[in-house]
Amino acid sequence: MINRRGALALALTGTLALAACGGKAPEKGSGPVKITVWSWKPASDGLAAVAKDFEQTHPGIKVDVQAVGNPAIWDKITIGMAAGGKGLADVLHIGIDYLPGYMDKFPGGLADLRKLGADTYKDAFAKGLWPTVTGKDGGVYAMPWEVNPVGFFYRADLFKKAGIDPEKIQTWDDAIEAGKTLKEKTGAFLIGLNKPAAGGVDMDFYQSLLQQQGAFYFNQQGEVTLASAPAIQAMTLIKKMNDAGIVADTSGENTAKQLISGGKLAVLPWAAWAVSYIPEMRPEQKGLWRVMQPPAVTPGGKRAAIVNSTHLSVSGSSPHQAEAFKFVEYALTKPEVINKVFKEGGVFPALTAAYSDPAFTAPQPYFGDQPALKTFVDALTEGADATYYSGDYARALKIASDAQTKVLLKGADPAAALTEAATLLSQQTKRKLAG
Amino acid sequence: MTLTLSRPGRVAVGRRSLVTKRNIPYLLVLPALLGFVGFKAYPIVAAMYISLTTGAGAARSFVGLDNYVRLVNDPLFWTSLWNTGLILVVQVPIMLLLALLLALALNSSLVRLRGLWRLGVFMPSLTGLVAYGVMFSVILRKDAGLLNWLLSLFGVDAIDWLGSPFWARIAIVIALTWHYTGYNAVIYLAGLQSIPKDLYEAAMVDGAGSARRFWSITVPQLRPILLLTVVLSTIGTLQLFDEPFVLTGGGPDNSTLTISLYLYQNGFRYFDFGYAAAIAYALTLIVAGFGIAQMRMQKR
Repeated sequence: MINRRGALALALTGTLALAACGGKAPEKGSGPVKITVWSWKPASDGLAAVAKDFEQTHPGIKVDVQAVGNPAIWDKITIGMAAGGKGLADVLHIGIDYLPGYMDKFPGGLADLRKLGADTYKDAFAKGLWPTVTGKDGGVYAMPWEVNPVGFFYRADLFKKAGIDPEKIQTWDDAIEAGKTLKEKTGAFLIGLNKPAAGGVDMDFYQSLLQQQGAFYFNQQGEVTLASAPAIQAMTLIKKMNDAGIVADTSGENTAKQLISGGKLAVLPWAAWAVSYIPEMRPEQKGLWRVMQPPAVTPGGKRAAIVNSTHLSVSGSSPHQAEAFKFVEYALTKPEVINKVFKEGGVFPALTAAYSDPAFTAPQPYFGDQPALKTFVDALTEGADATYYSGDYARALKIASDAQTKVLLKGADPAAALTEAATLLSQQTKRKLAG
Repeated sequence: MTLTLSRPGRVAVGRRSLVTKRNIPYLLVLPALLGFVGFKAYPIVAAMYISLTTGAGAARSFVGLDNYVRLVNDPLFWTSLWNTGLILVVQVPIMLLLALLLALALNSSLVRLRGLWRLGVFMPSLTGLVAYGVMFSVILRKDAGLLNWLLSLFGVDAIDWLGSPFWARIAIVIALTWHYTGYNAVIYLAGLQSIPKDLYEAAMVDGAGSARRFWSITVPQLRPILLLTVVLSTIGTLQLFDEPFVLTGGGPDNSTLTISLYLYQNGFRYFDFGYAAAIAYALTLIVAGFGIAQMRMQKR
């Protein structure tokens, strides 16, 4: 039901919106080329710091780093992609969970950096990352920036009180036994999960168990592997933990933070970013936390897993792709520059040459003078398998989360719940079920 | 603006002004019509086309009724339909009955400060989505939530409002009722005030009691308004999105996944615009069906 006033208002807002969309006209003339970068805080702070240095060595290029915010940036990029690249920044900070979706569903949306020489950096980044930025056509659609190997952050005081030596925990089954003792002696849960997934999915832990086995929701061919043996193995472990009563329900705002304050969570299976996040969140728990590599799923199995990574891409519609790539190259491929980004923005670098910096082996007072970052460098040296997110990751994530909720809330059988989930995922995405 | 659209030759030949008494209403309606075509009709038609395609961005390919076939075979779509229907059947009657009672109270001359009460009843429907969401997640929290605290005074154990599939639906019903009851009450109030006073006076002269007056005058006189609110609430509930989006995200285990929320997830989370458009058309058919059925029932 539209009335005249409504139509006028609509027409007006429409015109304004159109005017706003067309805001980024290509600069003409001989002045410096201006490139814009979309990122989010605190990562954007690190990038902004090196952008100043870059401008000094490259007088013809001006860099404007904008902190768009996360998750707002995904809607902005998606809308820009759907509009054929109109209004996008020249350089985009994109997470691994979104990158394949943009590569698959918006062909041409991201520039092929191979043409600009990105291929020369093929082996410069942590193992497992390069396959994820390479498209099916062999094009390179992003440069790795941040990498997050998984860690096992634990409360040394609680472990000591329960009489457990964390070094002896080799597999997750050992961890479950330790969890039972911890619960009995200290009242603390081993880990926390948002069991009903109310308000958002909580699949990082499940995914890290998959990644430790070199598995995921999809394989390299893009087939659905959600009901594979490693997937069932991982879900069975979670069910075992839950049945043992050592998994706290962290649904609801701030529940996890309250449990951490009260010393009710003994382990945080978080990634590298937590080295700076935990001290910021709980400064009063200084000296209580330690970190080690997580236990393996099977005895003697791999302990390392890259939980996620983020990248810088150049938008396919940018009129200044060469200049944009120059900046990306400058920021991400030089050890001294990327370490400055790390220092300012807390983003663990993917560039392997960066790890020779003494900062990565320095003892950290918060972690009882343990060299906390070294754990993650070790994990990356061991190497992690590439994770194939595919363009249908968002749907797979939701469907897998529903399966986990069924297991945690209704006691569903992991194999049955995952088989059902895999069938649904294959039906919805028209992808084959892996044999 | 409209005059520049006229073809000058024609005006000159016919010597007729484009602005005549007969076509001036059309000229006045033209901006609205253009707006409607540009911002409503075009998207509606474009969505129809998109629902017949798959892919995203420039890579759309025509697939015929594929998306609709997929819809019929999609268990999640049926879950969302079932959830929406369940909320509709439970929530709308409760809300409308409450609204009617509130309207009767607000219309009563026994109530003091009626203006203030009316404002208070209407306020919730003005609350913004974010404030509303934050407020209810505080009220409904399992530990230290306001509602659970109130219940604990009566010895009731803490309820996991947002974490249990059954209670999450109830939580949505509570939030919806809080948000929209006042809105309906104000509509009823307007209806009550338009009933001629002499009808009541005549009935009182004839010796009718207050119950009799309610059933024989108030209800029949309110019939068109009652129908209006039933139709509006039905359509509103079928399009339910805000409450599950902010409170539960459709969980736990998809127990509060509504049709609109599923549409949103497919379009803007999974970039599956073709499928989302097909869901939108299915929803349109359902809403239209309900609207027509309710109008027919009224005529009988």
